Amino acid sequence: MEQAWLLPAIPAGAFVVLALLNGYLPRRGDFIAIGAIAASFVLFFAVAIDLLDQLPGELEHNTSGFDWLTINGIQLLGQTNDFVLRIGFRVDQLTLVMLAVVTFIGLMVQVYSLGYMKGEVRYGWYYAVLSLFLASMLTLVLADNFLLLYIVWEGVGICSFLLIGHYFERRSAAEAAKKAFVTTRLGDVALLIGIILLWREAGTFDMSEIFHMAEAGEFDQGYLTMATLFLFGGAAGKSAQFPFHVWLPDAMEGPTPVSALIHAATMVVAGVYLVARVMPLFEASYDGALYVVLAIGLITTFISAFMGLVMTDIKRVVAYSTLNSLGLMMVALGFGEAGVGAAMLYLFSHAFFKALLFLACGSVIHATEKQEVTALGGLGRKMPITRATFLVGAMAMAGLVPLSGFFAKDEILVAAEHFSYAPFILILATLPITAMYMVRVYLLTFSGEPKDAHAHEHAHESAPLMSWPLVLLAGLAAVAGLVVFEPIGKAIGLESGFLGFVESVLVEEVHAFEFNWPVAILSSLLVGGGLGAGVMIWGGEAAPATAAAARFPAVHRLLLNKFYVDAFYQWAINNVVLGFAKVIAFFDRAVVNDTGVNGSGEVTNGLGFLLKFQQTGKLPNYALAMVLGVAVLAIVGFSVKG
Amino acid sequence: MTVANLVFYLIAALAIVAALGVVTVPNVVHAALFLILSLLAVAGFYILLSNEFLAIVQVLIYAGAVATIIIFGLMLTRGTDLPTVSVGGQWPLALLASGAFGGAVAAAVIDSTWPRDVGEVTLVSINDIGAVLFKDWLLPFEIVSVVLLVALIGAIVISTQEEGEA
Amino acid sequence: METAAEQIPLEHFLFAAGVLFSIGVYGVLSRRNAVLILMSVELMLNAVAVNFVAFAVYTDGALFRGLIFAVFVIIIAAAEVGLALGIILRVFRNRATANVDEVSQLKW
Repeated sequence: MEQAWLLPAIPAGAFVVLALLNGYLPRRGDFIAIGAIAASFVLFFAVAIDLLDQLPGELEHNTSGFDWLTINGIQLLGQTNDFVLRIGFRVDQLTLVMLAVVTFIGLMVQVYSLGYMKGEVRYGWYYAVLSLFLASMLTLVLADNFLLLYIVWEGVGICSFLLIGHYFERRSAAEAAKKAFVTTRLGDVALLIGIILLWREAGTFDMSEIFHMAEAGEFDQGYLTMATLFLFGGAAGKSAQFPFHVWLPDAMEGPTPVSALIHAATMVVAGVYLVARVMPLFEASYDGALYVVLAIGLITTFISAFMGLVMTDIKRVVAYSTLNSLGLMMVALGFGEAGVGAAMLYLFSHAFFKALLFLACGSVIHATEKQEVTALGGLGRKMPITRATFLVGAMAMAGLVPLSGFFAKDEILVAAEHFSYAPFILILATLPITAMYMVRVYLLTFSGEPKDAHAHEHAHESAPLMSWPLVLLAGLAAVAGLVVFEPIGKAIGLESGFLGFVESVLVEEVHAFEFNWPVAILSSLLVGGGLGAGVMIWGGEAAPATAAAARFPAVHRLLLNKFYVDAFYQWAINNVVLGFAKVIAFFDRAVVNDTGVNGSGEVTNGLGFLLKFQQTGKLPNYALAMVLGVAVLAIVGFSVKG
Repeated sequence: MTVANLVFYLIAALAIVAALGVVTVPNVVHAALFLILSLLAVAGFYILLSNEFLAIVQVLIYAGAVATIIIFGLMLTRGTDLPTVSVGGQWPLALLASGAFGGAVAAAVIDSTWPRDVGEVTLVSINDIGAVLFKDWLLPFEIVSVVLLVALIGAIVISTQEEGEA
Repeated sequence: METAAEQIPLEHFLFAAGVLFSIGVYGVLSRRNAVLILMSVELMLNAVAVNFVAFAVYTDGALFRGLIFAVFVIIIAAAEVGLALGIILRVFRNRATANVDEVSQLKW
């Protein structure tokens, strides 16, 4: 485990090689990228075995790293601390789950890209940035101090920007990349403030030290709550929680494998990981902090569920389903320590089925060159593998038993029930809606009559390079949820079930896993009802759907316009930001430029113009000037002396 | 008022009136004549100061040669310059400047305390002047001779009419 | 025998020379004919020489340096007049005018 730093280091090395040399390598060096992530995946197993061997005792030898930069005695707002930038890595249970997800999905996506991105522009650079992203993401989950976390947090943001804007010749892609970056930047500022606030009180960036201090009650509770909420701000930005959710749907401008990797499985869950990681701080703060998390998560999951019902771009629908899932994960975390296990389970299974859904969408797009459901339909016959895997992913997302999504959602519901009834009811309410929109997008794409004959002609099943990852992911999406059961957990090396494994990071005593039948039956009923309703509404000609849209045009418009949140943001930018900019521009033009710069030149010019009249060219004038000068000097001399 | 004082005032009045005439009369030849008068009055000053040699030098060189050459210059530069206005446009300021300067000088004279050798005015004879001039002041004397030579040559060079010039 | 200088205070001579000098300055500044300006300069030089001699007689009796200086002033004045008139003649030949107000090539 001490060599865990190799996991990010190898893809980082691949990035350097690819960024510099991809033009000269055969096949633009994609095999280097794949080899790097494959190596990291293999090393993950080594790390996992090492870690699992040591449990259930105290973990040892799970850290490595060095202090890179040390500045002593920095003063900030009345406190003086040492500033240490440590490149440090630490492996624990939480990290292990994330490592599994990142390396595996990263490998799947890179293999898939061999087929999907073949012949696309900037192929080598694509793999380079993918490698850099994987290196940053792996460092993010391995980081043992907040400063390093922040550095790679920004790193994944940059990679997201670069990859969303991969086809930057397209205006919408460039705009989407900018939007993603700027929106997450707002969150990043909050994160930085939170980190600095913590450093100011704790004197260190090290996570375990800060957690120990928090548990021991050495922080002022109000101060800690403020800092923790700032940290959550960063998590909310990166994980596209309301009100930062606007960047995720637009991020679909990037290539589909990028959406699968970054905006489904890994980067967007960085916020979830962060909140889970700093849960000790949340536990030591006022309860209000967790309520904030809970509320934001609930809002996000609700509005995205409704918006998913009307979107016509299949990638957009899956993006809104990602928002739905992210909101749900935040809700789980909002329950405190009890919800961390459920959130991580959902993260784990969500990575599989969401990546699967995106890659299946990519398969459809690659085959038909179309993304809108208005141009798709009836593809089930021509693309059987894609259809089957998409169905598995959609059902997992909806929470159909016994797929992984079912177990994940159930655990969140169980945690909600223990916590309070209001969130429990609300989450139950989203279940049928989720089921409905997943059925909708499946039916509109794969069943019924083809709406665009030309696209239908083109459709073909994808190459094995693209199909095999789909199958693998489908298999995992189906069974991954079973790790909650202790026998299966023990079979793969976990001490107890998956939940107990994760919770052992935070608590000493881990209670055994019990399957909660009442909740399971309730949720299955709701999911089944949603699925049935979806089939009824959108099956066949989808007549009920169009009828509903005609009967409630205002609601339909509200949903299509994404609750006008984007419009509001644009209005705010136009009027507030640009208005302010106009003031500044006026100041710069009128005061600085015209008065200051040009003005001083004009004054000098004017003075010079006036002074030149002194040069009359006439001798008597000059003589007079001389005599007057002498006279003045004489008078001055006399008055001074006298 | 002793005779010496009276004589001094007369000569001073003469010198000053003549100088005023130089700077004010429109007719340039009249101005030149006034200049000669002023120079002669200054020679009178020298005699009052018991420097006969200098008085003679003044009369010979200044009132004689210099004044004559000035009159020559006046004649040679008479074109259509029939004087109508003799002073330029800046005479108020000139008055101010010269007045200020004069005032400063007067103030300096009044303010300062001058060493006064009563009854110890040394009469300098021409023998003494000659002796000093050719002993202590030999170098300046020679240099001044060279200056005169150079001025002579320079004047010739400057004012020589070349072929084809009007 | 009493010399005149013993009866006349030094300040009288200095005043007289000062007035002469000021008149000469006025003439230099206000006259338009170049030769007249030259004549005013001569006035000034004269006043200067009177000053020197007065000082020599009243304060520097044994060495009478002012006297020698006055001699040199006269000599240099003579040389200068010759040269100056040469220049004026030259200018007059080129421009048919001795009016200094019209020689203003260096005007802005």
